[in-house]
Amino acid sequence: MEQLVGLVLLAGELLLTCGAEMYRVEETIERMGRAAGFVQVEGFATPTGLFISLHAPNGRVYTRVRRIRRSHNNLSTIAEVNSLSRAFSEGTLTVDEVRVELERLRQEGAPESLTRQLIGGGGAMAFTLIFGGNWFEGFIAGIVGAIVLVLVTWLDRYPVPKVLQAATGAAFATALIMGISNVLPIHPDLTTLGAVMVMTPGVAMTTAIRDLLSGELLSGLSRSAEALSVFVAIATGVAMVIRLGGR
Amino acid sequence: MLVQALIGFMGAITFAHIYRVPTKQLFYAGLVGSLGWTICLITRELWGEIGGVFAAATAVAICSEMLARRRRQPVLVFLIPGVIPLVPGGKAYLTMLSFLQDDYGEALVLLVTTVLLAGAVAAGIIIASSIFRLYSRAKHVRR
Repeated sequence: MEQLVGLVLLAGELLLTCGAEMYRVEETIERMGRAAGFVQVEGFATPTGLFISLHAPNGRVYTRVRRIRRSHNNLSTIAEVNSLSRAFSEGTLTVDEVRVELERLRQEGAPESLTRQLIGGGGAMAFTLIFGGNWFEGFIAGIVGAIVLVLVTWLDRYPVPKVLQAATGAAFATALIMGISNVLPIHPDLTTLGAVMVMTPGVAMTTAIRDLLSGELLSGLSRSAEALSVFVAIATGVAMVIRLGGR
Repeated sequence: MLVQALIGFMGAITFAHIYRVPTKQLFYAGLVGSLGWTICLITRELWGEIGGVFAAATAVAICSEMLARRRRQPVLVFLIPGVIPLVPGGKAYLTMLSFLQDDYGEALVLLVTTVLLAGAVAAGIIIASSIFRLYSRAKHVRR
């Protein structure tokens, strides 16, 4: 029983740290708890903490609280935990198999690689093009965007708040592009815009909407606040450099 | 238009990779983004900028819900990359620029437009997703 409680808790924790919607976390806890043989399963998830209470058939109640301090965007972990929990409740996977898989996912965390950052640079390029830049500006934005992602990833290894990471990345990108625009014929605004877009809090933004929709006001509001604060931080970073640069 | 569709595809698939969408779903995530951006460009001419973004967000959400059911994935996997090209980043940037240049009148107009555009994305997602939620709940009850 003790082990099953840990299993349910781990699944919920993984989903939360990877940015899943609250209803998915609570539904997964409920589904896995029932499949594990608990008669009553209560789960309460917020972006910063997880509370579960599992009632065993013999009358014992197991309650666990897990504080979530760090989070990252990892949609493939959400997808995998989701299918694991389904397989577990359908009985096609045993408890041990599920535990091994969940542990592996936790160890993996959010794998970083240079490829990911370079591809992210491609995102910056696409955004410059979407906002009407030409291919050359897109190319420059792509390179700067990739550098920004490397910088932000590096900052993320230290206890730097997300807001400060975004402001630093944005300031760095703006300064770099301002320098480049003195030498090469690029439109500094369009290029900067593309490069800073790689830090858009897309996951927080979309889950906030979906959380609000399913009546999760607490996490919906806190995630909206998270997304908004990152946007403001990016704008602040850009604005500071533009002011200092004398435009 | 084809070039724009490709750019939308590129934007969505790269952002999908940034948010670590499962590799097998990357292509579909890109497709959703491409569709959203193309619809946004077409309907923008007809219904104005906000209407275009709203139509595109609705289409993206419908496609994401359908793909998620067919491919047995969480909706977020397709929805997040799909709405990325619709995010009013350009308007937000111009807002900030106007504030910096002490042009508060222009800045406020831009700020309101940015908020409305973001609201249009949210409204599109909410409408499409709640229809799907109603549908799946109805199916659940019938069983």
